[in-house]
Amino acid sequence: MNEENAYQQEFQVKGGDFTRAGEVSCEIKNLLKELGLSAPIVRRAAIAAYEAEMNIIMYAWQGRLDLSVTPDRVRIVVEDKGPGIQDVELALSEGYSTATPEMRELGFGAGMGLPNIKKNTDDFRIVSEVGRGTRLEMTFLGNGHKP
Amino acid sequence: MTEANRHPIHIHDDACIGCVHCLTACPTKAIRIKNGKARIISELCIDCGECIRYCPHDAIDSLTTSFSDLNAFKYKVAIPATVLYGQFDNATLPNEILFALRRIGFDCVYELSTICELNNAAIAKYIDSHPKPRPLIASTCPVVARLIQHRFPSLCDLIVPIEPPREIAAKILRANLPRVLKIAPTDIGIIHIPPCPAKMVSINFPVSMEKSYLDGAISIRDIFNPIFQALRQSQEDTIMCHLFPETIFSGIGMGTALSGGETRGLKNHRTVAVSGVRDTIRVLDQVELGLLKDVDLLECTVCPDGCVGGPLAVENRFLAKSRILRLVNQMGERTVVDSSDMSMLYHKDFLSFSHPIKPVPDLPLDDDRGRAILKAKRRNKLVKQLPSKDCGACGAPDCRTLADDIVRDQAALPDCPFMKEEK
Repeated sequence: MNEENAYQQEFQVKGGDFTRAGEVSCEIKNLLKELGLSAPIVRRAAIAAYEAEMNIIMYAWQGRLDLSVTPDRVRIVVEDKGPGIQDVELALSEGYSTATPEMRELGFGAGMGLPNIKKNTDDFRIVSEVGRGTRLEMTFLGNGHKP
Repeated sequence: MTEANRHPIHIHDDACIGCVHCLTACPTKAIRIKNGKARIISELCIDCGECIRYCPHDAIDSLTTSFSDLNAFKYKVAIPATVLYGQFDNATLPNEILFALRRIGFDCVYELSTICELNNAAIAKYIDSHPKPRPLIASTCPVVARLIQHRFPSLCDLIVPIEPPREIAAKILRANLPRVLKIAPTDIGIIHIPPCPAKMVSINFPVSMEKSYLDGAISIRDIFNPIFQALRQSQEDTIMCHLFPETIFSGIGMGTALSGGETRGLKNHRTVAVSGVRDTIRVLDQVELGLLKDVDLLECTVCPDGCVGGPLAVENRFLAKSRILRLVNQMGERTVVDSSDMSMLYHKDFLSFSHPIKPVPDLPLDDDRGRAILKAKRRNKLVKQLPSKDCGACGAPDCRTLADDIVRDQAALPDCPFMKEEK
């Protein structure tokens, strides 16, 4: 199945909108289940999508998740308009966080976001431009037709 | 009861008028109106009983064990859920209720609050000896177990593999009664008295053992009147109960009838208690997204406020809760279960599941992933076409579900009355 035949859907996420936190990743999770992807992929993709969604809500002004599913892989491209990441290498190390005390009070900002995304993806790319925004490409590989 | 119609929830066609109340009340969208009558999709139903609550025509009820079924047993034992103690006025002592059950024909009544306390202690022990994974999920509510199996299959491993109090109690009785009474095990009938239909399913189709230790369930709704009548006619029992309080009750165990009851005793753990079916689904969704990892025990009960809010209870849950809280306070925090007894049973695996709860994931749109993708795309197009009124007139709870049914070949676009007009 080629790209045109893939299942594609776009999800908008608004920066600072904590009340809707997790809604998009939850929808993605349920969608992947409906499409019959195996439980481990659904779990990994859901966790990574949630971290990405939270990063937009916590740090960016506006962002979107573009989901594309073919029978053997799930791809989620996350793009945001936001402050960008100063040092991507550093942001990818566990425990590093620029979260504010308020965010930490809400239980976020343990510095596990990006490392957690990386851990749960089969392929992960990140490009960030300070003052403009960040783009993540996350790929999860399927394992044949049957879950 | 066969696997095909495993659900005790029953729709009375003569009373069902095909309105949409149950459609929208069902949290798993398991109801459709076909030919003017509500129909339950077996694979989707989790036996929560929300439809029973919301039906304005009393057309939905739950099939449970009948009193005549009980006559098959020479020796009849009742294990009432502790919720039963909250169903009668404050002047009626738990002991009087147990006496009344004997008057209406049970040979023995086994009090459950002590076993609830035992169960709580076993859960605490399990948490302490299993530092990972987190959060562990308490499995006392059979609807939660079923919900996890079907909708959150990846969370099956988080369920605490300790049998619920009702099964532990029945197991203790099965192990001892035949010997003590010198009667054949098959002559003993052990019946649970729950406030919900789900316990009936957990008895007929257990998820963590080959066969339930219970023989059936009579709902509080069905047994309320016989108990009420027996209470009225038994003045001597009342005096007996007041003067000779023979049964030991556990305040800690009594509290498990309420949401938070399983977590209240866990003083050194981080716990979260959720009640209500929609909130339970919301929190389980969060767990699946990798949240709540800093929580030791997540207690979910799908009825509002816990088992006191069961759809087959009689008294409204606020009054019932108030009465149970009063009993909990009267009995205090004193433990009645010997911790070495618990420890012995725990290490003998007497309290644990026979086998883990297995995932039974809901069916995808198609077994073939390529076709499932095509169906999902077609579904999204249909959703845009449909009027988004979610009126239920087509027989599905909302437009999105109608679109799902269409791509699954279980409905057609003209089922929507708005689509008909446009043609």
